[in-house]
Amino acid sequence: MKILIGLINGMISGATPILLAALGGAYTFYAGVFNIAMEGMLLTGAFFAVLGSYYTGSWLVGILLAVLGALLLALIFILFAVILKTDEFVTGIALNLFAVGATTYMLRKIFSVKGVFSNAGIQPIPSVRIPLIENIPVVGEILSGQNLMVWVAVVATFLSYFLIFHTRFGLRLRAAGYNPARLDSSGVPSSRMRALSLLASGVLCGLGGAFLSLGYVNLFAENMSAGRGWISLAAIILVNGNPLGVALISLLFGFSDGLGLLLQGYRVSAQFTAMVPYVATLIALYFYAARKRQMKSA
Amino acid sequence: MKQKVLNALIGILVALLLGAVLLVLQGYNPLETYQALFQFSLFGYYPFATTLRNAVPLVLPGLSAAIAFASGVVNLGQPGQLVMGALFATVGGLYLDLPPALMIPVLALLAMLGGMIWAGIAALLRRFFDMSEFIVTLMLNMIADYFTAWAITEPFKDPSAFSPMTPQIAASGWLPKWGEFNSMILFMFAAVLVSWFVFSRWKAGYEWRITGQNALFARLGGCDINRNFVSVMLMTGALAGLAGGLVVMGSTHRFIRGLGANYAWDGVMIAIVANNGILATFLYGLFFSAIQTGALGMELITSVPNEISQVLQAVLVLVIVASREYLNTLVEQLSARRRAREART
Repeated sequence: MKILIGLINGMISGATPILLAALGGAYTFYAGVFNIAMEGMLLTGAFFAVLGSYYTGSWLVGILLAVLGALLLALIFILFAVILKTDEFVTGIALNLFAVGATTYMLRKIFSVKGVFSNAGIQPIPSVRIPLIENIPVVGEILSGQNLMVWVAVVATFLSYFLIFHTRFGLRLRAAGYNPARLDSSGVPSSRMRALSLLASGVLCGLGGAFLSLGYVNLFAENMSAGRGWISLAAIILVNGNPLGVALISLLFGFSDGLGLLLQGYRVSAQFTAMVPYVATLIALYFYAARKRQMKSA
Repeated sequence: MKQKVLNALIGILVALLLGAVLLVLQGYNPLETYQALFQFSLFGYYPFATTLRNAVPLVLPGLSAAIAFASGVVNLGQPGQLVMGALFATVGGLYLDLPPALMIPVLALLAMLGGMIWAGIAALLRRFFDMSEFIVTLMLNMIADYFTAWAITEPFKDPSAFSPMTPQIAASGWLPKWGEFNSMILFMFAAVLVSWFVFSRWKAGYEWRITGQNALFARLGGCDINRNFVSVMLMTGALAGLAGGLVVMGSTHRFIRGLGANYAWDGVMIAIVANNGILATFLYGLFFSAIQTGALGMELITSVPNEISQVLQAVLVLVIVASREYLNTLVEQLSARRRAREART
């Protein structure tokens, strides 16, 4: 039982950053932006979260700065891809590398360290204890004591679903991806929807980054996003952007993350257990491709 | 051609200006910084030789990315292919001991084989299961990272070392040096020539390029798209793998942690800046290498951390690509306007 609860909790905390980044990517997916900068936004968010939390001693400021940092990246994306019409793929790749370079540079410049910055002064995002429910066996141990950001991710999932499918904003967002010329001619500039979708993705990736460095662990390490932005991109592609589907897929990836940690207890090399989420992504892609082939032949 | 060079120059100038603004904002003197940067990378025998040598692991993955992108293949697996190539060359160097004239080519071929195998996995997954190579190669990068980390901590670890690394490879596999010039640059020149020849003069290269521009046209014209896809993946994998092998044979002589550094991603950026041209990739590779090499020297005398080179590179990429596309549309707009005027009169 203990193992199971540990596995579920590992799954939830592994899924949270991927879910937040993927929700951000869902907005750009619907708006027809080929946004592959989630990796860089996560990393930037993670860095600024530590920066804010360390200097002000408040995790809230950390989260705020993380969102602002990721938004800055989103603004650069908008400047190049939406306004100057640079290729989105190129912009995304360059921004990801910019994020790696800039965070490494600032790590060295501001904290005077290379590699990892960890300090007792970094305030982590607190966990939420739910009275009464926490006394229920099993369910209580899972529902209570989760990081605040986990609940933010849950709220963000349903909010995104509602925004994308049940509001005028969502309709226009999807129209911008589906038929931008029609949207333009109906009086709503599709470039504005694309820019808004990028801002939304900046906010959500910033939150995901803050969870990485103030929740999942309590430090900043060079390149600590470790491909999670790419996994979230895979998650979006697998379920065509639907936020609820994204949540399910993220949990699946989170499960493989937790499974990796569990396997370490059975003397499997740490390097192999760390591969599990990436292998899981490949397996998920296999089933996605197989289903698509079936649909094509049917 | 003239417009290309002009675009590049404008882009580089704007990027350096932006970099100067970043430096001023932090209280550094940009002129001094840039002077130190290029002094330590271009001017003088030793700096130039170092820049050339450091360009090798940038240009090879750059060529790999350029050929792949121009052929419409989204191979982003250079980082993984590079470390797998390095691992193959290292293992070969640990267990073989041939005379240098044989050993060096064998290790280079092993490195290419390592890159080809890793790229081949992605190629087969796409070919038989229709899995997009874009995400697959990215995931394989992470897997290769952990796999090589395992290989140097468990089976091939140097028992006398404190941190994970392999023992040194046999000395017969070390690339010879002439003064400051490391013979690894010969491999780079050869790779540039071969890539250019295959891509611009051979039938195969022609088919790849056509497929990259218009896959449907290529297929109707009789190209075997699927076979071409696999051969592009294998060739680009071999180029990236060779880069890893050369790093082992030419500088570290063993597989150490963090061997791949950021070489392959820098290579991808170089290919993008170069608009997937073979010669342009080579030239931008030298330029990026000059920035990275100079940054290390610059740090010694100006107290600007050398990581600034990574920021500068990303700014360069964005500005050069944006200005290229922006100028192109501007030129098109102007010529369209002129034509419209001519049509009216």
